[in-house]
Amino acid sequence: MDASILLILAQDGIVNGAIYALLALSLVLVFAVTRVIYVAQGEFVAFGALTYAALTEGQTPGALWLLGGLGLAGLAAGLWQGRGDHTRASILRLLAETILLPAAIIAATLILAPLKPGLITAALLSLAIITPMSPLLYRIAFQPLADAPVLVLLITAVGLHLALTGLGLVFFGPEGYRAPPFSDAMITAGPLLLPGQAIWIIAIALALMLALYAFFEATLTGKALRATAVNRLGARLVGIPTEQAGLIAFALAGFIGALSGILIVPLTTLTYDSGFTIGLRGFTAAIIGGLGSYPGAVLAALLVGLTESFASFWASAFKEVIVFTAIIPVLLWRSLRHGPTEDDE
Amino acid sequence: MTRPDLAKLWPLPALAIAALLPWLPGLPAFWVTLANYTGISAIVAIGLVVLTGIGGMTSFGQATLLGLGAYTTAVLSKDYGLSPWLGLPAGLIITAAGATLLGAITVRLSGHYLALGTIAWSVGLYYTFANMDLVGRNDGINGIPPLEIAGHPLLDSRAMATVIWIGVILAALITNNLLDSRAGRAIRALKGGTIAAASFGVNTARTRLLAFVYAAVLAGFAGWLYAHLQRSVNPTPFGFYPSIQYLLMTVIGGAAHVPGALLGAALVTLVNDRLQDLLPRLFGARGNYETIVFGTLLIAALQWAPNGLWPLIARLRPRRHPIATNAAKLPARPMPAPGTPLLEVVALRRTFGGLVAVNDIAFTLNAGEILGLIGPNGAGKSTTFNLITGTDTPTAGHVRFQGHPITALPARAIAALGIARTFQHVKLVPTMSVIENVAIGAHLRGHASPLAGLLRLDRAEDARLYAEAARQLARAGLLAEADRPATSLPLGQQRIVEIARALCLDPVLLLLDEPAAGLRHAEKAELATLLRRIRAEGVTILLVEHDMEFVMGLVDRLVVMDFGTKLAEGPAATVRQDPQVIEAYLGSIE
Amino acid sequence: MLNVRVIAAAIALGFAAPALAETIHVGVTISTTGPAASLGVPQRNTIALLPKEVAGQAIEYTVLDDGADSTRAVANMRKLIEENHADIILGTSTTPASLAMLTVAAETKVPMVSMSASASIIAPMDAARRWVFKVPQNDSLMADAIAAHMAAASVKTVGFIGFNDAYGDGWAKEFTRAAGEKNITITASERYARADTSVTGQVLKLLASKPDAVLIAGSGTPAALPQKTLHERGYAGKYYQTHGVANNDFLRVGGKDVEGTILPAGPILVAAQLPDSNPIKPKALEYIAKYEAANGAGSVSTFGGHAYDATILFTAAVPEALKKGKPGTAEFRAALRDAMEAQKNLVMTHGIANMSETDHNGFDTRARVMVTIQNGAWKLLP
Repeated sequence: MDASILLILAQDGIVNGAIYALLALSLVLVFAVTRVIYVAQGEFVAFGALTYAALTEGQTPGALWLLGGLGLAGLAAGLWQGRGDHTRASILRLLAETILLPAAIIAATLILAPLKPGLITAALLSLAIITPMSPLLYRIAFQPLADAPVLVLLITAVGLHLALTGLGLVFFGPEGYRAPPFSDAMITAGPLLLPGQAIWIIAIALALMLALYAFFEATLTGKALRATAVNRLGARLVGIPTEQAGLIAFALAGFIGALSGILIVPLTTLTYDSGFTIGLRGFTAAIIGGLGSYPGAVLAALLVGLTESFASFWASAFKEVIVFTAIIPVLLWRSLRHGPTEDDE
Repeated sequence: MTRPDLAKLWPLPALAIAALLPWLPGLPAFWVTLANYTGISAIVAIGLVVLTGIGGMTSFGQATLLGLGAYTTAVLSKDYGLSPWLGLPAGLIITAAGATLLGAITVRLSGHYLALGTIAWSVGLYYTFANMDLVGRNDGINGIPPLEIAGHPLLDSRAMATVIWIGVILAALITNNLLDSRAGRAIRALKGGTIAAASFGVNTARTRLLAFVYAAVLAGFAGWLYAHLQRSVNPTPFGFYPSIQYLLMTVIGGAAHVPGALLGAALVTLVNDRLQDLLPRLFGARGNYETIVFGTLLIAALQWAPNGLWPLIARLRPRRHPIATNAAKLPARPMPAPGTPLLEVVALRRTFGGLVAVNDIAFTLNAGEILGLIGPNGAGKSTTFNLITGTDTPTAGHVRFQGHPITALPARAIAALGIARTFQHVKLVPTMSVIENVAIGAHLRGHASPLAGLLRLDRAEDARLYAEAARQLARAGLLAEADRPATSLPLGQQRIVEIARALCLDPVLLLLDEPAAGLRHAEKAELATLLRRIRAEGVTILLVEHDMEFVMGLVDRLVVMDFGTKLAEGPAATVRQDPQVIEAYLGSIE
Repeated sequence: MLNVRVIAAAIALGFAAPALAETIHVGVTISTTGPAASLGVPQRNTIALLPKEVAGQAIEYTVLDDGADSTRAVANMRKLIEENHADIILGTSTTPASLAMLTVAAETKVPMVSMSASASIIAPMDAARRWVFKVPQNDSLMADAIAAHMAAASVKTVGFIGFNDAYGDGWAKEFTRAAGEKNITITASERYARADTSVTGQVLKLLASKPDAVLIAGSGTPAALPQKTLHERGYAGKYYQTHGVANNDFLRVGGKDVEGTILPAGPILVAAQLPDSNPIKPKALEYIAKYEAANGAGSVSTFGGHAYDATILFTAAVPEALKKGKPGTAEFRAALRDAMEAQKNLVMTHGIANMSETDHNGFDTRARVMVTIQNGAWKLLP
């Protein structure tokens, strides 16, 4: 292997790692705030990507109707969960979140989609369609289980993953999609061949990480989320509703998932079910990073991306074997350093 | 004197039903097929009950372990022409060996690292199977010979159903045996936290490994059945998704209950099958809605029954545990001569980063006395306890017990020397009854191996352990509550249960962390009487307590701590007058 | 208590579906979800178009999904046989699951027509495979075609990249054999997973081995990824794909990057371009017309054609089988098997089958054409 191959593999690993890092960040966030291991996060990647691809081709994406359906289900769930202590304001709020917002997005899409919108419009529209599904799902599936053990939340997330994958097949069909890149530029630097899209990915990933950092450090909502992550009860006592924190965390996770999908679909072929594999990498990074540490998750994501890239060069048939065996020593090191823990289940 | 215990007699009729029911005339053939798949899944799920539901270790790798058992018998019987029956012990040995290897790493992982660890090796093994010529790569091994009995191949589904369901019932039976044995209580004790378990001499790493290997062996057993039912193996059924399927069966059935595993397996198999029929009728044959509806049902079911369905059906109560009053008493250890130095704490120090939690504490505890360790909140009392009992490691200094250094010893070794403790935050196992919790205290006084537990060769010893637990509960005045779920008692009484558990260890030294908290006045008086009686039997007591009235009336001497430092030491009456002590207490009104 | 009763009733209700005599029950298990959905979905759509009657007998199809999981495939097969009293099983879409189903076919003596690639499903012929037929071309037939085309185009060295599953594995094996026969050297043999988002590592390895041509063995749209990456890295040799990509979605996703790709395929892929003298042409066009009428223009794929062919095969055998027994009887099923084995010159959408005791696929070289991609469309090579 010469230096140029090394460089190319490193570049590939970093681009993939950047996506894993975004997913890992949102998984960490969701877990910290709600204790949910968000297995269905990967579906948001696929949904975002395929919705974007459909919009760029001037089609009306099927996921639109899922948004409507989830809105109705969210309304029902919200009414049921808050039965007895609804106020006029809370009902109006609920209606706005579950009916008005999805309806507006659906209307906008129905108008814009046939016009074959530009790439940026298509991307924004896709984000608008996919992101709200995540908090709606939180309201429907997880909010009532706020005090359930982690295992039950995990299996609920698995159920969600199954249902969403099935829906993905219905909406997008079994075949893959690829979308036009934001930029057709190809930058050559020595042996490196940097597609414009790869630069977009790294730039947006970095920007998003900085934005998240600023959000957690500087805004009241961000601080509230961190407080909830540290101590749910405590956060509630000082007036931060856990439900609100959960909704925000899920919305961020949905947003990041959909964005990741939109970013990579110009570089590769995605199918309705490819989100899971990508999500699994993010999950891996999140856990190696400690499920609580944001910088740790980013580092681990890059590590996963690089291992994957190099393993696919050295022994492609055993790539998964190598990637997943390589993380075991890391896990061992992390848990030994961590010492025995009392898992509060 | 007692009527036959129904709970113990179920295996015989169950075995008879398993053997005969499949042959019922008119039974639709496909029901038998469904029963076969249910049975195989149920065996895997029973293993997961022990590992995940009770042992608290989430595994995403059970299908891969099943594959290990299936491939072993497939290779031996197809490629080497050996009898499929030989594949059973071989499969179990290979799975056990493989699981010991994987488990040695896995169980050292904590929490989510562990779950990811299981994903890691199961993905690794999956692709190894898929790229390994010995096991036929992706196409697998096909045409595996069927089981044979006296030259008759068991090709009929009904014959396999009989074999499989005898297997299920045996698996359920030995799992119940295990959970009701000394080793099983240790596994169940993990739910109360590893610290509490280790403080009573449970080797938590080995216990976790035991649970892991046990679940793996059941999966391997299921794999053997699978290979000879399906008569073909390839990697697809041993991947991540099937593993998740087993896990969700376990959770939906009720992860902590063996019957829940059967229920979950049956329900998931049946629902999936019914959906295949119903959905095309409802929505037409064009779409594929099974996974959507299944996922949605799963979510809905968990909203309705977060602990799984079995607890709803069974309205669970811990079983009444019969006490053999005539069981021989356990041997007790000799008590040291009163007045001799028992525990010497020398310059003990513990820092957390820049914070000095325990600052060169030193005191000596003599045999037969009650020493009170008092001080305001955050004075470092509980940390001192943890340092003495091996739950935490000191930064500097040492502890000697009966003249031997114990500073570097793990908690379970310290427990073995006769040091028992209670916890400031009660650490009882919520899923166990009061007496089962107390019996954990006697863990080190029994010796039965897990295997003896599985096969019920441990009954005599177990009866003695329970008799001891009952005796200690009676002393603590809680025998009437023996069969209640431990955490259903008021918090004050739970502390007393912890004392009974500690007494079960047959301790030389008893460390009590705020035993009187949450007790009513009369109960405090009873507790004081109990502690005095224990002292009279030669047991030495180190006591952390806030209730000054309780402490002053009880202890022989006091050590006062503040901000990690010893302020004063001496007889209660003297210490009480110490201006520094008064200052510390008045200065920080709690 | 009430709940339990309701559930029990619901379960019992689902079970009670007595089979009608005189109707031929066709059980279908295919992968309409999971990794092989791009094969299974058009196959399921095809089943909906199939004749509901043949030789005066009503035909009833029951379609189940196995998600490419062999446990489910076998369970489905048992369900179809035990509950729906299937006279014949069509399926499934993937090789490992089809192999797992063999045993059940032999055990229950129900004939089965597989729709997956590998020759290992029907060869070597033995007691179990006696009951098994297969309508897609053997991968060996296709591999020979590619090797022959390469040899003719004086390709001496080939880099191979295939799915890390049974499909890629089967191709690696068959192509290694076929290439050896033509003295073609394989310079690198790489694998990737269907869901991989990057194949840079593998592509670098291929490029480093400087082959005259690259063969990509994947199915559906994910097979476009290596070609796109190779293209990006400036690979200038020939590109070969397998018949696994023969649907329009591949063209859509591949775009400009797959222009000039060469692949073997069933004649149905370029049916309109076949000479009128080719007996396959009308059969294939008939299927395409039916399929696109129901599913929209351009929606047809060659994979659905396999399901159509499976029906051509078994309906051709029904009249003969009816003479031996009534549907639902063991005699009928055995006669069906015998009659399928006796089919000669049976025209299907993918080829012309001559079944025999030793060959349960029956295709010859008429079942494959070499195709290239020109201006975003399939173009028959002479």
